[in-house]
Amino acid sequence: MGAIDRLLVSVVDDDGSVRESLPDLLKQFGFAARAFSSALEFLASDCVDQTRCLLLDVAMPGMTGPELQQELIRRRQAIPIIFITADRDTIIRQRLIEQGAVECLFKPFSDTALLEAVNSVLHPKS
Amino acid sequence: MADSAKSHDVPLDSSVPTASLESILCTEELQRRPSRPPDYEKENQALVKLVSALADSPTTIFRTLAETIQDITQCDSAGLSLLTTDGKTPHVDGKRFYWPAIAGMWNPHVGGGTPRNFGPCGDVLDQNRTLLFTHFERRYPYLMPVNPAAEECLLVPFYVDGKAVGTIWGIMHSDRRKFDAEDDRIMASLGKFASSAYQALIQIEDLKLQVAEREKAEAEVRELASGLEAKIRRLVEANVVGIVMWNLEGAITGANEAFLRMVQYDREDLASGRVRWTDLTPAEWRGHDERAVADLRTTGIFQSFEKEYFRKDGSRVPVLLGGALFEGSGNEGVAFVLDLSEQKRAESALRRSEAFLAEGQHLGQIGSFSWRVATDEITWSAELYRIYELEIGVPVTLELIHSRVHPEDVSLIEKMKMMDRAREGGHDFEWQYRLLMPDHSIKYMHAVAHATRDQDGQLEYIASVQDVTARKMAEEARDKARSELAYVARVMTLGTLTASIAHELTQPLSGIVTNASTCLRMLQTEPPEVEGARETARRTIRDGNRMSEVITRLRALFSKQEPTTESVNLNEVVLEVIALSIVELQKNRVMLCPELADGLPLVIGDRVQLQQVILNLLRNGSDAMSTVEDRPRQLLIRTERDEGDRVRLTVQDAGVGFDPQAADRLFDAFYTTKGDGMGIGLSVSRSIIEGHHGRLWATLNDGPGAAFSFSIPRASEGLARADGIRNIQVPAVTGPAAA
Repeated sequence: MGAIDRLLVSVVDDDGSVRESLPDLLKQFGFAARAFSSALEFLASDCVDQTRCLLLDVAMPGMTGPELQQELIRRRQAIPIIFITADRDTIIRQRLIEQGAVECLFKPFSDTALLEAVNSVLHPKS
Repeated sequence: MADSAKSHDVPLDSSVPTASLESILCTEELQRRPSRPPDYEKENQALVKLVSALADSPTTIFRTLAETIQDITQCDSAGLSLLTTDGKTPHVDGKRFYWPAIAGMWNPHVGGGTPRNFGPCGDVLDQNRTLLFTHFERRYPYLMPVNPAAEECLLVPFYVDGKAVGTIWGIMHSDRRKFDAEDDRIMASLGKFASSAYQALIQIEDLKLQVAEREKAEAEVRELASGLEAKIRRLVEANVVGIVMWNLEGAITGANEAFLRMVQYDREDLASGRVRWTDLTPAEWRGHDERAVADLRTTGIFQSFEKEYFRKDGSRVPVLLGGALFEGSGNEGVAFVLDLSEQKRAESALRRSEAFLAEGQHLGQIGSFSWRVATDEITWSAELYRIYELEIGVPVTLELIHSRVHPEDVSLIEKMKMMDRAREGGHDFEWQYRLLMPDHSIKYMHAVAHATRDQDGQLEYIASVQDVTARKMAEEARDKARSELAYVARVMTLGTLTASIAHELTQPLSGIVTNASTCLRMLQTEPPEVEGARETARRTIRDGNRMSEVITRLRALFSKQEPTTESVNLNEVVLEVIALSIVELQKNRVMLCPELADGLPLVIGDRVQLQQVILNLLRNGSDAMSTVEDRPRQLLIRTERDEGDRVRLTVQDAGVGFDPQAADRLFDAFYTTKGDGMGIGLSVSRSIIEGHHGRLWATLNDGPGAAFSFSIPRASEGLARADGIRNIQVPAVTGPAAA
């Protein structure tokens, strides 16, 4: 499979280790992956339209994950979003899912949990 | 007429042949020549002009006279010659003539003149009549350079009080006109006038001199009088001292406010004559008054002495009194009166305070000593003997002192080279030390010494020593309590940071898990992606170590370990605290702006305590902005060098600020402006910073918000202190007492 045919999963997280490790795992899953350190960097990139799934950190300086979610809704960019957060707050998780997120994974999450969540977006039938 | 003047300064050369007097005289011609008729009108006008000139401006009288002669005789030059001794002022005993004024062609020669005994003027005075000369330079060669030459010269003498003082003269430089008898007459007339004018002038000059002298004398007297008067008036009106005027019978005829205030009478009392100095004086002081009166009668003054006056209400006022009779009065005089109440009060207060001092020393457990360095002469107060538990009066030596000082502090005192320092310089110094008593109990002492020089220039220390044992014990108890409080505060602060800590731990953990998963998957592929797996495994190890560090820091923060002292890079501490609190700050939508100085000097202190203070300041700043919506919630944390070899850290928020009135209370324990705060954060922070020999303070921003700063000494100074006096002073610099 050429990279051009792979589905693009974008990662937005201010933590360097996440930006560093997640794309490699996503590539192992067979996806194309790009990482961004902030919501604004993502919005300014040319990946917004191609992104099929967004792995989005909740707490970030400047624009937060939920704020980016609202901004994408406002722009009518219906990108499926999987939140990833270090804050094990089930109430927040519940709220985020209610507001349209596909999933909210608590860090650290297993590779299978991640793959399951991404596949639920990109391969709904499988 | 400089040439002429020069010529007769030169001794006359008798060898030069000169014409005889007869050959240059032609006076008889005047009678033979046809004479013009007298012009009395012109003559009168001329005299009037002269008189008015004399009245208006006596100094120009000579010039006016010369002009008048020229005008009335229609000659070419006219002037006058006056006897003088100095060449400038008229003098009847003069040995030469000078020319004070010349009109006409000879005018440039004003100031010149001729000798008394060898010249035309002298001839006129010798012959006591008018003479007419023709070409007198033939006999008097010194007149040759005086140009133009005199064809004819008519000279008329004038006298003052029968004494010849000079001549007036007219000169024709050509033969266009000859002098005649009318010229002789009118010159004689003018000669008489010249006599009067001269007299008038002399008198006027003399009078002017007299007037000037008199005016000067009068001015001096006036100045003296007004100066004295003004001084006396100022003295009376200033009411600095009481001034009273009196007569010997006992009446007070005048007094200033100061005196009236002293005795509490008013102006009406004074005017009524009821106030008499004899009545103001208590019976036991009358003898003094009588002696003063006796002195006044014999010498006119009395020496000042202390006495008392009755006030109007019958109370007494101590005064110092001195005075004198008015000159030439014999009965009336003036006296100054000084109120001595204050001095008396001070004197008695001094006596009392001396008595209280010993008692005060005992109560305050403060002893004092003096130490003459040159002779090692040491004097102790009684209380100091008691503190050292030595028998009062035992001779004090440095050896004796050392026998009581705690062995550890003796070495420190020696290190300080206290004695050397004391012997060399004249510094004041302050130190703390311990006494080890024979029963092995310890006393804490605080000493302050002040260096002075006695009248012989010898160095002497005056010192006070306080037994601060009780205070020390209380301080230690307080410090222990504070330390406990600090722990509670720390745990509480950290409790609220759970989210942050979880984040801090889960970020590397998340990386570890993801990398490990990736690694496994890479190894499971066919063929295995060995290089990728190796890379992810390396990251896993790195993130594991990162986590381990975080855990170590957290353990230190949570543990109740004794504070330690080390060199600390404050910037590193700030970064650690930022790492711990960044999530909390982000949650509160705070924009953190670190401004950390490059090359910041190290500080000496306890890393964890400093972390705690910074954490606290960041939290406070964040909390202060929790309600701010109309501006960025910007939180600035800055480190910088501070003056005096110190390092300063500032946390500046854009929050609600604080009430300036409450600025002092901000650091009080349990003072809080926050709904959920216990109010111990700042109090503990200040304790910690003070334990680091630093200062923590708050200021309001120019704009919204406040800034909290602390400033602590840099390491080099702190290390120096560890060996120095301060270490004795505060042995628990870094111990629990400092927290």
